[in-house]
Amino acid sequence: MKKKLNVLLSAALAAAMTASLAACGDQSVSSTTAAAESAATEAGDASQAESGSADSSSEGAADSIVTEQTDLTFIFADGDEGAKKAMNEIVNRFNETYDMITVTIEPGTGGNYSELLKTKDSVGEFPEVMEMRDTAMYVRAGKLAPLPDDIVSLFKAPMEFNGEVYTAALAGENTNGIIYNKTYFDENGLTEPTTYDEFIELCQTIKDKGDMAPLVVGGQDLWHMGFWFNKAYDDQVMSVDPDFIEHCYDGSKDFSDPAIKSTFEEMIQIMEYAQDGWVSTPDAQITTFLVNDMAAMMYSGTHMFSQISQADPDFEMGWFPIPSPDGKVRLVGGSGIGGLAISAEAAQDPNKKAAAEEFIKFFFAPENYKVYCENLSAVPSTVETPDLDILPVLQEVIDATGTADTLTPMWNGKSGNNELPPDFRNFTYKTLIEVLQGTRDIDSACEEMNKTWQVAAESFNPVTGAGIE
Amino acid sequence: MVQQKKRGIDKTALAFIAPALILYVLFIIVPTVSSVYYSFTSWDGISPDVKFIGLANYKEIFTSARFGNALKNTIILTIFISVLENAFALALAVLVDNIRWGKNFFRSAFYIPVLISGIVSGFIWKIMYNYNFGAINSILTQIGLGDFRQDWLGNTSLTLIMIGVVLVWKGAGYYMIIYLASLQSVSTDVIEAAEIDGASPWQRFRMITIPLISGAFTINFTLSLINGLKVFDQINVMTDGGPGFTSETLVYLLYKVGFTEGRQGFGTAVGIMLLFIIIILNTIQQKFLRSREVQL
Repeated sequence: MKKKLNVLLSAALAAAMTASLAACGDQSVSSTTAAAESAATEAGDASQAESGSADSSSEGAADSIVTEQTDLTFIFADGDEGAKKAMNEIVNRFNETYDMITVTIEPGTGGNYSELLKTKDSVGEFPEVMEMRDTAMYVRAGKLAPLPDDIVSLFKAPMEFNGEVYTAALAGENTNGIIYNKTYFDENGLTEPTTYDEFIELCQTIKDKGDMAPLVVGGQDLWHMGFWFNKAYDDQVMSVDPDFIEHCYDGSKDFSDPAIKSTFEEMIQIMEYAQDGWVSTPDAQITTFLVNDMAAMMYSGTHMFSQISQADPDFEMGWFPIPSPDGKVRLVGGSGIGGLAISAEAAQDPNKKAAAEEFIKFFFAPENYKVYCENLSAVPSTVETPDLDILPVLQEVIDATGTADTLTPMWNGKSGNNELPPDFRNFTYKTLIEVLQGTRDIDSACEEMNKTWQVAAESFNPVTGAGIE
Repeated sequence: MVQQKKRGIDKTALAFIAPALILYVLFIIVPTVSSVYYSFTSWDGISPDVKFIGLANYKEIFTSARFGNALKNTIILTIFISVLENAFALALAVLVDNIRWGKNFFRSAFYIPVLISGIVSGFIWKIMYNYNFGAINSILTQIGLGDFRQDWLGNTSLTLIMIGVVLVWKGAGYYMIIYLASLQSVSTDVIEAAEIDGASPWQRFRMITIPLISGAFTINFTLSLINGLKVFDQINVMTDGGPGFTSETLVYLLYKVGFTEGRQGFGTAVGIMLLFIIIILNTIQQKFLRSREVQL
């Protein structure tokens, strides 16, 4: 009797599980279908709205691109929520449009993207399509395939490397500036500074008031410190010698140069106004400081606009560039060398090559590229720009890039004879933090930079050709 | 006949050993030997070209301030955690061994941190250490000790200690189990005899128990030394070797130069140096501790 009961119970349980699994299956299918329909409708609406949108989103074109089912792996810097959202949306749209091509996003770590990509390469998992930042290094290693003319022609200012274009710029270079709490400024009669001295005075005024930190700095993330270092470097080094790095390579200058010392001095002056605990504050937390009245200003790129709006939709933000001490306005801008790239290995397979190129064209079709630009508050890099619904503050940035005295990539984003040796950038930022914390003086920092530079330049020197061929 | 068998190769035994041997050779011996080769090159880890540069990487190691700094940090951290981990582990083991109720509960409770992954424990403590939002500073403020608030991971004089605290918290439970097993194997006859002779509890512990569990000391100090020398997870998560180079240890230096700075050759040379350091320190430690072991 007991045995029979057990059998009955087992059968009932199995039936219940089967039914629930079937229900789950139905649900997932229907939700996927609904999502697909929704995305397709959205894409279709956008296509109709955009005159002359790319043919790449049409079903008809999809059939002739590949001869068999083709899978592509795709990886991007997923540290930013906006990037993650936009990339997933575009990849989903692509997969729904192309039956025979599947793009799979390889999950990142949300941390150091360069490290992730190198690790992927080391373990033989180099993706077929990727967001590429260290373009020069990977091109030299023969890891990237040049892009065809029909992709290159989509961009306003494609960045060439050895006569070829390897990356489809995701956006114009991320222009940094001060994003501030407009309400706080208005309530306290504070105005946007027009000179460097006025900026320092403004910081001092806020510090003296004592109700919040003048600046929030995400010093735990080296790349965030890079925003600030680049600002001081532009002010002190680029203003006197735009080819300083090239001159270091040819030996006519080194990092004991007065301009480098002035860069450190400017950084020391600015960091006096950073919040307590800035060294261990990650970039991901700086929005919290700003929207919670813990800091009045942050220095970052336009990608922060959407993050701030999401964190507090009612937050009123303003933006201004920090003028250089010589009165000029030097901004980060123009096309960088980074962007979407196709691996050389994938390009050897005709189907993968065709699929990867189609994916890039699809990505930059206005109706899809709009998703990326709006999520990241990015300045479009394409000739045919999407119709963006942008924040007024982003328009201010775009206007400022039009009137700036200089518009150049970050100091570590340059190519040719001004390209930095691998990771000299991070060494500099770490040394900078030591100086800012007082564990190293400026002279000693310059000496260490010289030593590291000499070692780095032995294996990489675009001027002499070492490490280039 | 028997002698002949001894000299020849036992094919059956070889067949049993072969799978493990092949894997060991493939995944341990070959990479180790090839590491020695790569340490004499300037390979960037990506390019197919591998350029032989002789002893240049080793020369740089001995002249580089960064290697010296990493070595110093490694030694400080290793000594810190070896001493404190063992001290806490022994204290916990004695406590658990002597309590009359809840023995199993406390043994499990003290062991739980061991089960948490290094990455997860790093994240947990990083959040607790946070200057503005962390639990430690919040508690200090709430109990009126706001003046003692610190940037625990940002203050360069505290960073290594704070990482060490996490490692001790996470590792002590493991060593406790070894000490506990050893304590429970100490004969009660010897202890009772000492008690009858009038030895105080402290005297019994110092003169009887400690010598009898010295085997556990050897194991635990060896393990904590090796673990201290190869700490990676917590540093990666909590400080990324910073601020600046404050918490960069040899293993972390190896990783940074090898995998992020495109200097696999130099990174491998650092790895080879670390191997020698581990061998030397472990040999010294083993000699010292073995000489103090007592066998009953």
